[in-house]
Amino acid sequence: MKALAVALYTMLELTRRRLLLVFFAIGAAGIAGLGILLKVFTSAFVGSTSVSGPEGFHGPSPEQMTKLTELSFVNDLISVLGVFALLIAFAIGMTAIYHDLESGSVVAILSKPVSRLEFTLGKVIAAVVGMVLIVGLLSVEARLVMYLFGGGLEDALWFQTLASVANGVTLMLIVLALSAWVNNIVAAIIAFIYNAAAGVVVALHQAMLNGGIPSDNQVLHVGLSVLYWLVPHALVSSAPREIAREEFVIITAGEPNAPPVGEIVSGIPGASSGADILWWLFMVVVLFGLMYLAVRRRQV
Amino acid sequence: MAAVVSVKDLRKRYRRRDPWAVDGVTFELEPGQAFGLLGPNGAGKTSVVKMIAGLLRLDGGEISIFGAPPGDPRARAELGFAPEDPDFPKFLRAREVLDYFARLLGVEEADRKRRITETLAFAGLDGERRQIRRYSKGMKQRLGIAQAILGRPKLLILDEPTADLDPLGRRDVRALIERLKESGVAVLLNSHLLSEVELVCDTVAIMAKGRVLKEGTMSEVVPQGSNLEDVFVQLVEANEPPRDHMPSFISEKGPTQ
Repeated sequence: MKALAVALYTMLELTRRRLLLVFFAIGAAGIAGLGILLKVFTSAFVGSTSVSGPEGFHGPSPEQMTKLTELSFVNDLISVLGVFALLIAFAIGMTAIYHDLESGSVVAILSKPVSRLEFTLGKVIAAVVGMVLIVGLLSVEARLVMYLFGGGLEDALWFQTLASVANGVTLMLIVLALSAWVNNIVAAIIAFIYNAAAGVVVALHQAMLNGGIPSDNQVLHVGLSVLYWLVPHALVSSAPREIAREEFVIITAGEPNAPPVGEIVSGIPGASSGADILWWLFMVVVLFGLMYLAVRRRQV
Repeated sequence: MAAVVSVKDLRKRYRRRDPWAVDGVTFELEPGQAFGLLGPNGAGKTSVVKMIAGLLRLDGGEISIFGAPPGDPRARAELGFAPEDPDFPKFLRAREVLDYFARLLGVEEADRKRRITETLAFAGLDGERRQIRRYSKGMKQRLGIAQAILGRPKLLILDEPTADLDPLGRRDVRALIERLKESGVAVLLNSHLLSEVELVCDTVAIMAKGRVLKEGTMSEVVPQGSNLEDVFVQLVEANEPPRDHMPSFISEKGPTQ
C-alpha cells in the first residue's frame, strides 16, 4: 500500500513535468501529421502514377500502390512510436527518482514508516505506468489515424506497441538504476551509449543468423551469441516482417521468376521468442535490483 | 520511565580517512522531555538526529527508538522528523505533500482530511495553492514542521526548526513544543538559537567536533548568574584553537573600493 502511495504521487509529479508533456505533444502531432501526409500523398499522386519497368512488367496497380503507401505509413507509425517510447523512457528515467534523491525530498519521505524497498517499488510502478499510459495513448491515436486514413495490419500495431513499451521500460530502468548511483545526465548518456552498442550487437547477431558473417569464424560466432544474450536486446513483434512480406507480395505479384517471399523476408527479424521475453523479464528484475541496492545504500 | 530514544556510544564518519563526525555520543530521552542538542556548525548534531531517524548508517554504538532499531519502519511510525533545510517533491502542493505523507503514515482516510486541514492551518499554509517549487525557504520550513507532527508522533525531532522562520513562526513553534511536552511527546531540538533552547528545553547537551562536552538539566549546565550562550561559547572555544575572527581590512582606514 505504501508503495502505491509513492507511485500515486510520483505519477502526479510526472504529469506536471513539462518535458514529458512536450514529448507527448510532439509525438501526438507527429502521428497525426503522418496520417494527413498519407491522405494528401495518396489522393494527389497514387491514382495518377504508373510504375515503369522492363518489357512485360506491368507494375503495381493504383490499388496496389495505395496499399503499398499504407504499409509504408504503418511502418513509419511503428518507427515513430518506437522513437517516442525511447524519448519518454529517458524523460521519465531521468526524473522519477533522481530529483527526490538529490533535492532532499527523500529525507522527509524516508523518515516516514516506509521501507526503501517500498519506496523503490513505488517509483518503478509510477515510471512503468507512466510509460504505458503515454505510449498507449500515442498508440490509440495511431490506431485512430489508421482507421481514418487507412493502413491495415492493426493487430501488428498493437503487438509492436507492446514491444516498444517493453523496450522503453528496459531503457528507462537502466536510466533509473544509473541515476540512483550517479548524476542523471551522466546516467542518460551512459544509457544512450549502451543502447546504441546493444543495437549494434543485435544487428550483428541478426546478420550472423542470415549468413552475413562467414561461418568459419567460430570465435566471432560464439562471441556474438554470448554478447547477444548479455545485453538487454530489444523485443520485436512480427510487424516489421509482416509489413515486408505484404510489400513483397504486392511488388512481386505476376512475376514468375521472383524468389519465394519467405526467403526474401528471412533477413528481417521475426517476432521475439519466449526465451527473449524471459530474458527481458530477467533484465527487468536485475535492473530493479540495482536500483534498490543504490537506494538501500544511500545515506540521505 | 522507559526511554523513548536511547543513544549509546554513537559513532559516525563519512570517509575512512575523515575524523569522526560523531564520536561516542550517549543520551536518553524520556516521554514529555525536551532535549536540546547544541553545538557549532559541523559539531555532528544533524548526523546524530539523522541516525536516530534511520537516514544514516551507524559506524558504531546503538540506537533504540521505542525498543526498535532506527531503520525499523514500526519505530519510524512513532517518529516525526523536521529536517534542516527541508525539501519536498517540487511539483506537488502542500495539501498533496501532507496527503502523500499521511498515506505513508497509514492514517485512515476519514482522519486524514481533518488532520491535513488542521495541520495546514497551523502552518499558515491553508490557503496556499502554489506548487512547492514556488515556495520560499520559510514556507518550506513551516511545511517541514507540519509534516513532522502529522502522524501524532511520540518523538518529535526538530533540526534547526526556526532558522528560516519569522518571529511569529518562532513563537508558534515554541508554543507547539510546550503543547507536545504536556501531551507526553518527547522533543529533540537541534538549534543554534540558544535563547529558544533555554526557553523550551529541560535538558541540553553541548557538542563540538562530534563529542558531547557537557550534558545535563538546564540548571546543571547553566550556573546561576550565567546564561546558556556564555556557557556554550566558553565550552566550545576551550575545545578549539583560538582564532582571530575579524578580517584585517575591516579596520583599515581610507577610501573604500
